[in-house]
Amino acid sequence: MTKGVKLLIGAVLLIFAAAVVLAVIGLKPSESTWVEIVQNNKVIYKLDLSEEKDRTFRIDYPEGGWNEVQIKDGHICIADADCPDHTCIKTGELRSENIPIVCLPHKLVIRFSEEGAGK
Amino acid sequence: MKAHKLARLALLTALALIIFIIELRIDIIPIPGAKLGLANIITVYAVYKYSTKETAMIVFARVILGAVFGGNISAIMYSMTGAVFCLTGMLLVKRIVPLKFIWLSSIIGAILHNTGQIIVAIIVMRSLAVISVYPFLIITGCIAGAFTGLCAQFLISRKLPEKENKT
Repeated sequence: MTKGVKLLIGAVLLIFAAAVVLAVIGLKPSESTWVEIVQNNKVIYKLDLSEEKDRTFRIDYPEGGWNEVQIKDGHICIADADCPDHTCIKTGELRSENIPIVCLPHKLVIRFSEEGAGK
Repeated sequence: MKAHKLARLALLTALALIIFIIELRIDIIPIPGAKLGLANIITVYAVYKYSTKETAMIVFARVILGAVFGGNISAIMYSMTGAVFCLTGMLLVKRIVPLKFIWLSSIIGAILHNTGQIIVAIIVMRSLAVISVYPFLIITGCIAGAFTGLCAQFLISRKLPEKENKT
């Protein structure tokens, strides 16, 4: 084992450890009940999940395509979409402050936000 | 380029493409962007077996054809940047990492691949929101990278018949 290899192994281990620590921090559940839905970097909805009724609504992407957002029992998720990878659906319900629901093809982000009024 | 070399590279590209397409059907990891990256077994193999130019040809052909066959052309920006990052890193690391530690350069490739994709995602979405997935990508990337690297290592130590050496 040469010095270079040892150094690289050390670096990889360090990155891995840092990633684990950050991931654990990232998994912290959110205390806020407010979420915002962001499209193309603009906030298009701001909702208080603790007061929202169960409902499903569709968000159209201007350049074609849609995502169906579902609110159920104070949780929000993307129930259906016509994007090719369906990553946003697989992400499931929004749980953590640091892990938003992201739909890359439709440039859509759903994340917890600070308390705010109106839509 | 001699015909048998061309045929060999084409064969590897086809293999990588098949693995890539099969893998599209079995994505089970619920993290956006996380993948096993089994097709990179071929990439790692090529990095250690062929020249830089030839490896780049295999990888770029795989990425472009993979986007066409996978029906996800819009994702080509992500996979292409990832591939460029990964390839550059592995070709550099190859100089100091011997054959016995292929898994290591594969892990480094995986980390760089994910880094490239996150950078593109930040640029495309003009938002730092995606960065929160980055640690998860690194973790899955390290595990998947070690796996594909070991696969490539076994493949190389098997000493597949190299007819071209005799001519």
